[in-house]
Amino acid sequence: MIMGRQGGGVILGLSLAGLAIVVGLPVLFVALQAIFPHLSESSFREPFANFGHVLTDERLPELFMNTLMLGLLVSCGCFLFALPLAVVRGMTNLPWGGLWDLLFLIPFMVPPYIGAFAWVLTLQPNGYSTQLFGFNLGGFLFSLAGIVTVMTLHLFPVVYFALSRTLGVIGRRFADVGRVAGASPLYAFWRITLPLSLPGLAASLLLVFALTIEEYGTPSALGRRSQFLVLVTSIEEKFAEWPIDLPGAAILSFGLVILALAAFLLQHWLVTRRSYIAVSGKHGQTALIDLGRWRWPAVAFFAFAAFLAVIVPVGAVILTAFSQTLSGGLTWSNMGLRHFQAVFANRSGALDALWNSLWLAGAAAIGAGLLGSLAAYVTVRSQIRGRGLVDALSILPNALPGMVIAVGLILAWNRTWWPFPVYNTAAVLLLAYICLLLPYPVRYVGAGLRQVGASLDAAARVSGAGTARTLWKILLPLIAPNLMVAMLLVFAIASRELVASIMLAPSGMRTVATFVFNQFAQGSPGLGMALSVLAIFSSTAILVALSALYRKKIET
Amino acid sequence: MNRTTLGLALAASLLAATAANAQQLTVYTANPANLIDNLAKGFEKKTGTKVNVFQATTGQLMARLEAEKANPQADVLISASWDTAIDLKAKGDLLAYESPNAKTVPAALKDQYYVAQGAAALAIIWNPKSGKAKPSDWSDLAKPDYKDLLTMPDPASSGAAYGLVSGLTSLPSFGWQYFETLKANGTIVPGANAQALNPVMQGAKAAVIGGVDYSSLDAKANGEQIEVIYPASGTVLESRPAMILRTAKNVEAAKQFIDYMLSDEGQKFVADVYLLPARTDVAAKRPGWSDIKLLKLEEGGAAKRAETLAKFKTTMGLK
Repeated sequence: MIMGRQGGGVILGLSLAGLAIVVGLPVLFVALQAIFPHLSESSFREPFANFGHVLTDERLPELFMNTLMLGLLVSCGCFLFALPLAVVRGMTNLPWGGLWDLLFLIPFMVPPYIGAFAWVLTLQPNGYSTQLFGFNLGGFLFSLAGIVTVMTLHLFPVVYFALSRTLGVIGRRFADVGRVAGASPLYAFWRITLPLSLPGLAASLLLVFALTIEEYGTPSALGRRSQFLVLVTSIEEKFAEWPIDLPGAAILSFGLVILALAAFLLQHWLVTRRSYIAVSGKHGQTALIDLGRWRWPAVAFFAFAAFLAVIVPVGAVILTAFSQTLSGGLTWSNMGLRHFQAVFANRSGALDALWNSLWLAGAAAIGAGLLGSLAAYVTVRSQIRGRGLVDALSILPNALPGMVIAVGLILAWNRTWWPFPVYNTAAVLLLAYICLLLPYPVRYVGAGLRQVGASLDAAARVSGAGTARTLWKILLPLIAPNLMVAMLLVFAIASRELVASIMLAPSGMRTVATFVFNQFAQGSPGLGMALSVLAIFSSTAILVALSALYRKKIET
Repeated sequence: MNRTTLGLALAASLLAATAANAQQLTVYTANPANLIDNLAKGFEKKTGTKVNVFQATTGQLMARLEAEKANPQADVLISASWDTAIDLKAKGDLLAYESPNAKTVPAALKDQYYVAQGAAALAIIWNPKSGKAKPSDWSDLAKPDYKDLLTMPDPASSGAAYGLVSGLTSLPSFGWQYFETLKANGTIVPGANAQALNPVMQGAKAAVIGGVDYSSLDAKANGEQIEVIYPASGTVLESRPAMILRTAKNVEAAKQFIDYMLSDEGQKFVADVYLLPARTDVAAKRPGWSDIKLLKLEEGGAAKRAETLAKFKTTMGLK
């Protein structure tokens, strides 16, 4: 145990208290709701009354298996798609590295249901691909293969960012040692570099798995046609179909929690059974592999990935936003600025919604970054009892559907006993975003910490630095790249979060996602798409500005 | 909670507390944004009471009401499904109020506890660019010409679509056989109204069976090339009930809001989004009460509803 007893205790206390409020409270209320169906009326009568009809639903085994299968397939897909990209980005002198990173951040800023809708508009019969190139892939899109492809293209950046950063830190040094010992380059990569990057890889695949089984947008947009139903679709039905069944939804959600916890345990076993320390002192910039004549093929490969994951879906969103009408198709006479004019005229409060989303996302990134770093520090660096609880608590929100977390937050905070109102203010949205997105900083920062040798902390302590100073001067700079990426992800996802926002938005407050969703529901996708375009570009601009600032700060 | 969030939470709470001193009304609604925005602004101007709007689909509204039961927030609810009003009344969740402005609202569209804001009808939404023969009745869509070109909103998530299924299956000339033919003709049931409409707008499909008419009329007025056809055999109305919740904190303002919604000005805003105003003496911008033939509907109750929905699922091959 490296840190001072007192400092460690304070950090554990802070992170446990933070997690208890942000994660524990809503999850507890969801669990109570599952057991006590009349909880929302503050009554504990008829406990377990709803378990029977939910658990005997004959569709349940199929829903469970479909969910598991989808999670595994998308995780595999993301691994296969992101691995070569991350290796090239992290370990070679690929041209325009920053540009590719930026492009691969964009899928996060496209809400899943808009991404899925964009693919539908592109590939369905008479869609954009028919209009431009004369082919459609409707049959493929509305199948399991289509769902897995669309979700993989949307989620692979989670693996790409974690793995390319980790590989960048490991660099060539260890593999070079292997090479000296006579291993072939491929063998050295397979047996040395890849295993060393396992913490980052496992953590990001866990995130992908949890995100996949929790996501509603894509399976509902694409899966209903082929009758591929998952647990989330069924949970959503309990919210949307008359009569509303909150306890049933809460019970089914725990099916998702079981799946996610199983994945979490697997990940935990993988990363804790040995050491992955790759940074044990200050060392120079690791030399990158020179791509040589593979330079341009590598660029072509990245361009192809960016085309599929970014250009096609975002292009479809942009085309729809500029189309005066959807039925008019892609003709010059049908292009125009009608929808953008409506947005800039603040029709239905479109600009207010954009502003709300941006400041909420910024605040969520700061909050989740702080709490997530603390929690990661406790789980990785301390030997204190209770750190396992911290670790487990921090993955829970990823497994629970946003809708269910939202209901948990309503049940917890919409009570007259709180001395100050949280529910029905912007604060509850902030709590929801921090809760839902906390797993990113915890996983990313945790993976970074696992690579930093504890000897560095010890050296700082020996030189007389206290816990706070050690954290601030030694650890923070070392994990800063991971923390920065995690906070950027939190910002990107929070700026377009839909499912929790729609349940929790205080009366009178709209966010980008709720605005767009309502425009869709009322049959005017054009206006919704125009605001989506503005949201995607403004959050990208903010991210670019932030990372430029950050880079400048590191250089000086 | 860390210091930043705590600070923000406190600041937000303070803001909320200051605002609460002024007169406020909270309205939960499934209205289109421009309708509720006009109503809220007009009401604020007239009475000085600030209107806080929460806008979502009917299902989301009901889920939020259910989750908020420990400390209800809403004063007025305007849903898009008549059944919700009947159900909430039966549970004792509503406050009785009969607005003086509701005199010319048809008797079927008001009750001691709720009153229609307006209504929409279900129609065939047809894309003329599909090159298929223009349909004039539901039965035309069962023809082979429309093979694999049909969508239909899910009656499980829309009260009106349920009404259509229940109405058509009780007609001898249609019955469940009609839906079996639709299934054989490759009809898809992709979700709520918007999900059924979008493939038809882009031309992937040719027609919606039972699409809500007002949003399509609005889209058409904005240049979309779609047509709204009222079938000869008749269709069903989707009436949108407005009601005051028993737990309303600001009952006086809630009553004023219902009055305002049914005033000449309020009903004009309703007409502007191509809904049928509830008051028969306010002009509609669309086919009106006398232009649309309606199917006879039997009162069935919850058991009949569950049975019909289950049968619909099996007939259409849904899980």
